[in-house]
Amino acid sequence: MTDQIREQMSALLDGELPRDQVGLLVRRMSRDAELKRTFGNYVLAGESLRAPGGVMASPGFAARVSAAIDEGEVAGSAVPTVPARSPARWRRPLAATAVAASAALAAVLLVRPDGGEPQLFAERSGAPESPLVVTLPVGGSSPTPGQNQRLAGYLVVHGQYATPISRRAVWSNALATDPGVARVTYENAEAP
Amino acid sequence: MANFPPSDGSTEPHEPRDESDRPATGVEQSDLELVRRVQKGERGAFDLLVLRYQHKVVKLVARLLRDPAEAEDVAQEAFVKAYRALGSFRGDSAFYTWLYRIAVNTARNTMASRQRRPLDYEADLSESEQSVVESRMRHGDTPEAVALSDEIHRTVNGAIEALPEDLRTAIVLREVEGLSYEEIAEAMDCPVGTVRSRIFRAREAIDRSLKPLLD
Repeated sequence: MTDQIREQMSALLDGELPRDQVGLLVRRMSRDAELKRTFGNYVLAGESLRAPGGVMASPGFAARVSAAIDEGEVAGSAVPTVPARSPARWRRPLAATAVAASAALAAVLLVRPDGGEPQLFAERSGAPESPLVVTLPVGGSSPTPGQNQRLAGYLVVHGQYATPISRRAVWSNALATDPGVARVTYENAEAP
Repeated sequence: MANFPPSDGSTEPHEPRDESDRPATGVEQSDLELVRRVQKGERGAFDLLVLRYQHKVVKLVARLLRDPAEAEDVAQEAFVKAYRALGSFRGDSAFYTWLYRIAVNTARNTMASRQRRPLDYEADLSESEQSVVESRMRHGDTPEAVALSDEIHRTVNGAIEALPEDLRTAIVLREVEGLSYEEIAEAMDCPVGTVRSRIFRAREAIDRSLKPLLD
């Protein structure tokens, strides 16, 4: 502890410390119990000179006030506050839909009889926005066991996550009467 | 006429407007600077305000309650209330005036809750009237508190007597007469910086004397 800091404390007590020095001094004093003790004795000396006799605060009084304030702040933070936001109810079906849509898209991209790249019938750069329709060109020939397995897997995954409406829509499309084409329409799978 | 906060224990007293026109003293400005810092979240600044006013508030409450044994508890409650209400303090009045109102109100609530007869006083908490109240309530001091207080007083006076004359004059003009550094510099015909240094050195000497007594 330097004399300079203590001299600043003395000036602060008298209201004579330049304002731009107050902040740094307050921070230093906040961290240093000895500085605060000294400041308390400066105050005590003045009080004793001005008004001798009578009750004085005991040496630990200021520390007890500080502790009481701290306790209040801790208790205050324990007061029920807005809890950390858990997923809202409205979000759940939306999230499930998003998962289902992702699963649907992944499945569609995987189900290609010729192993080629999937074809998107609606080009993004093309004319107006239209529902994303992916055709599974399984017509003409019967699907291979591998294709059936992948399609069944997709439907199972979709069924686990999709809402009942979108589940029905996808299944009805997948089981369309036209045995040659199983159409999966992204439009039907609820927009995320 | 007293302008107390609501007797329901609310700690947001109205700030008296009649103080706003007079110039603030250095101590009041210093208090206000500390208050502003507390309001900005610097918790440590409030500790300094407590250190500065603890004796005044404890003394006041002890004499109002006529029971010094619980004075510190009530004074502590008053400080905590003041801290919580500090956000509403605008600085229209001096901080200590505002704090004293909270302390008086807290003491009154304590007395009311115990169905004691409050003191018959109407305190507009100016320093002079407050000292009148304090002198009327002096019988509330316990022998132990008086003994310690007297010991502190003797120690402080002894330390001051032992000071070189320039330091003694400076600290007495400051603490007893309440002069500003500039006024002391004028009275002692020396620079303000010298006054500041002398007062500091005087306080250091007193602190050295007090330390064995209080540790």
